[in-house]
Order: sequence, then C-alpha cells, then structure tokens
Amino acid sequence: MRVAAGLLCALLAVACGSPVQAQSYPTKPLRLIVPYAPGGFADVAARIVAEKLQQRLGQQVIVENRSGGNGFIGTTAGAKASPDGYTLLVAHTGEFAVSPAVFKDIPFELERDFESITMISIAPLLVAANAKSPIQSIPDLIKTAKAKPNAVGMGTPGTASINHLAGEWFADAAGIKLLHVPYKGGAPAGVAVAAGEVPMGVMAISSVMAQIQAGRVKPLAVTTAKRSAQYKDWPTLQEVGNVKDVDASIWTGLFAPKGTPKPILDRLHAEMVAILAMPDVREKFAQGGADTGGMSPAEFVAIIKREAAAYRTIVEKANIKPE
Amino acid sequence: MDILSNLALGFGVAVTLQNLAYCFIGVFLGTLIGVLPGIGPVATVAMLLPLTFNLNPATAMIMLAGIYYGAQYGGSTTAILVNIPGESSSVVTTIDGHAMAKQGRAGPALGIAAIASFVAGSIATLVVALFSPPLAEIALKFQPADYFSLMVFGLVGAVVLARGSIRKAVAMVVLGLLLGLVGSDVNSGVIRFTFGIPALAEGISFAALAMGMFGVAEVIYNLEQRAAERQVVVGGIGRVMPSLADLRQCIWSVARGTGLGSLLGILPGGGALLSSFAAYTVEKKVARAPKNFGDGDIRGVAAPEAANNAGAQTSFIPMLTLGVPSNPTMALMIGALMIQGIQPGPQAMLQRPELFWGIVASMWIGNLFLLLLNLPLVGLWVRLLAVPYRLLFPAILMFCCIGVYSINNNPFDLFQLVVFSALGYVLLKLGCEPAPLILGLVLGPMMEEYLRRALLISLGDPMVLITSPLSAAFLMAALALLVSIAIPAIRTQREVAMKE
Repeated sequence: MRVAAGLLCALLAVACGSPVQAQSYPTKPLRLIVPYAPGGFADVAARIVAEKLQQRLGQQVIVENRSGGNGFIGTTAGAKASPDGYTLLVAHTGEFAVSPAVFKDIPFELERDFESITMISIAPLLVAANAKSPIQSIPDLIKTAKAKPNAVGMGTPGTASINHLAGEWFADAAGIKLLHVPYKGGAPAGVAVAAGEVPMGVMAISSVMAQIQAGRVKPLAVTTAKRSAQYKDWPTLQEVGNVKDVDASIWTGLFAPKGTPKPILDRLHAEMVAILAMPDVREKFAQGGADTGGMSPAEFVAIIKREAAAYRTIVEKANIKPE
Repeated sequence: MDILSNLALGFGVAVTLQNLAYCFIGVFLGTLIGVLPGIGPVATVAMLLPLTFNLNPATAMIMLAGIYYGAQYGGSTTAILVNIPGESSSVVTTIDGHAMAKQGRAGPALGIAAIASFVAGSIATLVVALFSPPLAEIALKFQPADYFSLMVFGLVGAVVLARGSIRKAVAMVVLGLLLGLVGSDVNSGVIRFTFGIPALAEGISFAALAMGMFGVAEVIYNLEQRAAERQVVVGGIGRVMPSLADLRQCIWSVARGTGLGSLLGILPGGGALLSSFAAYTVEKKVARAPKNFGDGDIRGVAAPEAANNAGAQTSFIPMLTLGVPSNPTMALMIGALMIQGIQPGPQAMLQRPELFWGIVASMWIGNLFLLLLNLPLVGLWVRLLAVPYRLLFPAILMFCCIGVYSINNNPFDLFQLVVFSALGYVLLKLGCEPAPLILGLVLGPMMEEYLRRALLISLGDPMVLITSPLSAAFLMAALALLVSIAIPAIRTQREVAMKE
C-alpha cells in the first residue's frame, strides 16, 4: 500500500513538475483578453486555444473581447490586470511589432508590461491579384508598377496594418511605387480584389481563401522567407520577386501581465506547448493557412524585437505617419 | 427541379428534432435580446460561440442565424413600447410605432410588426434559396462610387424621416455627419476629434448614442410630467390584434418593404441597415394620404419592419456564397465556421450543400417559430405598459446600461451614454428629432470612406461618380427626391410670402 501511495505521489510530482503554487493553480476561471472584435484573426486563435486550456486546466476559460483604439484598449487592460495568472492577453503582430514603429505614444511596452508566454500561431501574408487583371505574376506586377508608378492599387485591411507594411516592404525592395488603397478590415479588402476594384492586394490567407477557391483571386506569392507548409505550391516573394530580406508574417501570441509568478508562467507554457502540438489544433490553424508556435518565451521575444526593428525601417522609408 | 431536391435536402437537415430545438432556442434568445434594449446579437453570439464548438456545424449555424434574425423581431417590440431602438434597423420603427403605442394602439403595432416580418422573412428566404449565386454577383458589381451615391440617396431620404421642420431635420443630419467623423480616418489612419481618448478611436458608440438619445432622453422627459400623465400609454390598452382593415392597408407597404429589404440586404456593408430607412422614405412618398406618417400610421411600422427582416435574411447571401460578412454578427458566424474547420464561401456551398440548404430551410422554420412566439406575446407586452412608470423606468435605465456596457466591456461607453442622454433631452426640448441624426452618424463615415476610395482608385478623377451607370442612377434618384421635397417647401414659403 505504502509503495503504491509513494508511486502515486511520484507520478503526481512528475505530471505537474512544479511547486505547490502551480499545483493549486487555477482555482477559478481564467480570462483571455482579445483586443479585437469577435471573429478576427486573434479572436479565432484565442477561442481555439481557450477550448483546450479549459479542458486541461479544469477551469472555465473565457474569451473577453475588449476592442477599440487599434487594439490599445484591450492590450492596456491586459497590462494593468493583476499578475495572478487569471487574466491573460492574446495579441498579434500589430500590438508589439507594428504599433511601436508607427505610433508615437503607446500606453504599453512589451518587456516593461508583459511576460511573453509563447507564440500561438503564425501565418504568411499573401500577395494576390484579381484573376482577370493583367497582373498574373510578381514580375508582371513589378513591370506594370514601373511603367505606371503610384497607379497600381494595392488593397490592404488598413493604413499601418501589418499587410500595408508588408506591401511597402516588398515595393521598397523591388524599387516600385504602388497606390495604397486601405479598407476597413480583411474581408472587405478581399472582396475588393475579388471584384476587381483594386488589381491586387496583400491579404491574410484566411480572408481570401474562399475567393481563391472560387477562381476569382489568384495567389501570386507569400510574404515570408519560407513557403507555407499548407500551400507548398505558392512561391515566396524572395523567389519570384528578386527581393532580398522580405519576410513578413502575422502571428498571435499569449502574454501575461508583468510580475506573474514564474511557476504559473511555466505551467501555462507547458500546457500551451502540449496544446499547440495536438493534431486537431494544428488542423484548425492550418485551415486559415497558419502554423502553430510553441517556442520558448526568450525565442518569442527575440522574434518580436527583430520584427519591430524591421518595421521601424519600413515605416521610415515609406513615410507611413498616421499622426 | 434542382431547387426542389436542394430544398428537400435542406428541410431534411432542418427538420430533425435536434435542429428544430436549436432553431427554436436561437429565435427565442434572439427575441429576448432584441426586446432587451442594447444587448445585441453580437454580444450574444460571442457568448454562445464556445457552446457551438461541440455541435454539428449546420446545427450551430441554425442557432446563431436564429439569434440574428430573431433579434430583428424583438427589436421592434422595444421600439414600439418604450421608444428605444435596440438595433439601428429599428430606429425608424420608433417613429410611427411608438406614436401608435401612445395612442393606445400598441397591440396592432406589435401585431403588424410580427406579421410583416414573417411575410418578408418568408419571401426573402425564398429569394435566398432561388437567387443566391446571381445576387452575389450583383453585390460584387458594386464599386466604391456606386456605394457613395447610394449613401447620398439614403441621406437625402433621411430628411423625409422628419415629422416636422425640414430645416431641423437637415440640421440633425449634419450634426450626425459631424459626430460620425470622430475616430480613425480609414484612408490616412489619422485619429480625428478623439481628444486623446483611445476609446473614441473607432468612433462614437452607436448603441450609447441611440440609447441615450431615444431611451434615456425619453425617460427624463417623461419624469418631468406629473405622475398622473406619466403613463406611457394614454388611455386603455385597446385592441391587441390588427384589424382586417389595418391588414388590407398594409399589404402593399409590406410588399414594397420586402422588395427593398431583399435588394439592399445583399450589399455587404450598410445595405441591410439602409433598408428600413429606405422603406420608410419610399412609403411616405408613395402611399396614399401620407399626412399621418409620424403620428402613428400603421404603414410606417409595416414597411420598415418588413424591410429589415427581409434584409436580415438576404444579408446571408454574401456570407454564404462569397464568405463575406455584411455586419459584425456575420463576421462572428464566419469565425464560428472557421473554428469548425469550414471556410464559408462558394466552395463550401458546393462541398457541403447540406449546410447551405439546411440554414436556408431553417430560416423559414425560424420565421414561423417567431410568428408563433410573438403573436401570443403581443398581449403580454402590451400589458407591460400598464406597469407603473416608477417601476418601469429604473428597469429601462438598467437595461440600457447593461446593453451599452456589454458591447465593448468598456466603462467609457457608459460616459458616452450619459452625454448623449443629456444631448437627446435638449434636442427633444427643441423639437429636433434623433432619427435623421442617427442616419447621418451611420452613413456619414461610410460615405466619406467610399468617396475617398473611389477618388483614390480613379486617381482623383471625380467623373467616376457619373460614368458608372449605377452611381449615376442613384445620384439622379437622390436629385429627384430632393426636388420632390423642396418643391412643396418652396411653395408653402411662397404662399406665406404672398399672404404677407
């Protein structure tokens, strides 16, 4: 009997692998703040993860949408929440890599206000063209734009969006000038390309997949350095555009307020790594053209900092200044 | 006979015990949140989203869709009874609907709203079943210039909404346009008129403004009256059901409302919203003896209610056939499908016909449920008006606050509610009506967005507004409407001048 009990204790210790504090955590429901309206890229990621976290932690995990102010409101709420592991933030590229490059006064700072847990998902953006437009490849696009600078419309989900920056990055590297046409979100921008309102655009794969399947939109190239794991036949901008260095993607990540106890962060990181490796979770993200993350917090922060520096250069070169 | 086999497939999916039950839950919840001011379908669908993960996708969509169009039904109830539009689409219903309630005709107003919604919903569902793919093509034909001109037409129509002075209505539209400028500019990303408040970066909260200007302002105004006069309903409750004469009077109004709603509903972004305003405008221009409009004309309830429900059904067309959400609730439903691993759009329609046709069939069933649910409730709702005002008004205020807060979970929205309540009260005292202001607020930013985009793409050439046939047609219609409003006004002024 004693042996059995001892074994059980050992098993439990191995299973949890963390001190008492984390063993009792969580004792009440968790909130995942999403600084955007329901249905968006970050929201869908949060909801996929929330469902699994709920099963594994044995506590309810509530997704709370705090939209408004370019994501500032929700992110600030995440920064100010008490660091007890019960309020977490699901943010995307915009908050920590793009906004610092674009806006002067930001009420939060990645390393001052947050503990990064891990990346949840990462997806390339897609340079896509209307299927009936004369632009049918990246070389076509470069040729047309060189002949008519500032006249080829590039649809994006908004000024200073990651898509806009990725488009400007490519244009700068290819030595062309495109006419930036911002829309209010990814879906209207995708429709604009499908309807031929603009000849091309820089889109999240999930916003144009339906139009690609319908044959209205033609994928030209992905914006990342490597091809997408799901859509291997789409070339990269570096391959077909003769542009070096262009490597833009959109990711989502899980963050906790600064000062959250280390054991809790470790527990969450371990759970996330396990969740992000699950086949059904990977499958759900793959639907939207995304891969799952799961790297260590240090690696994640390094990626964010590298991107933020790159975007700062783009913003200066393309003179994107909304303020 | 393709359509028959498809419909048979659809009803096969929709008429299972489980799906009927979820359809009923959906429309029931929809009605409930529609009745409660402010708590809208977006918040409800967001809250129920986790529940749908373990459901079959068709079942999940049947329930979520039910919430969406059920809310359109419920919204009219609050608009008629207490003059609070829960959704932008029920703003116009407050005009004649609440006037009817004040005359003791709340019953027929609620009855006709339910009947008009049912008829329109059934016809529009048929439109979705028969013409989805070609209609989706039409939606893609709309270019920024066309949208802009459609909005111009809508704004001119806003003036017709006015009960009294045209000058005041124009002033209200302009005030609405100005308020609509608050927030980020889509083209440059510049943040305008927010005074550094991040919560205003995406514009003024529509719900806070609508609830403040209509609901809370009305409550303050009522409290000013002496206790005996405070009762919302003057006189008795009256008949509960619309009479045969009422119904006969409304047949064409419902038909016109359904047609307009079905057409405008397919336009992603603002189409469905315009439909109830457009239906009211058309009705006031076309109907015989339009003098009663604004003072409780039953046709002024029937037409916009038919239009907003028809629009709610046909707004599923862009979502189901193109994968394009036409409003935030639809965006959420697309999110729900994506979590289920389905990319809504043309492929989904071919690969998963049971999903598309199941939803279509469930819409008709849902509309039937709504009629059966709402008609018996009319008597109950009307009796609610007999509740003493000192008990009713705290409840109204509380639900307004919950509703406004539930949208963004942001306390700042409650401050907005307070400000717009005060503004609404002042405007009420000045005899200025909030409905044209609301239309200006909603249409203004969209109008600017489309105009600037049209000019951006045309490289600054304004001729694009005239060379596009659709745009030219809308501008002509707007001009004709303007002339028809201006001529009687000029004539009266001349008569006044002659007398002097």
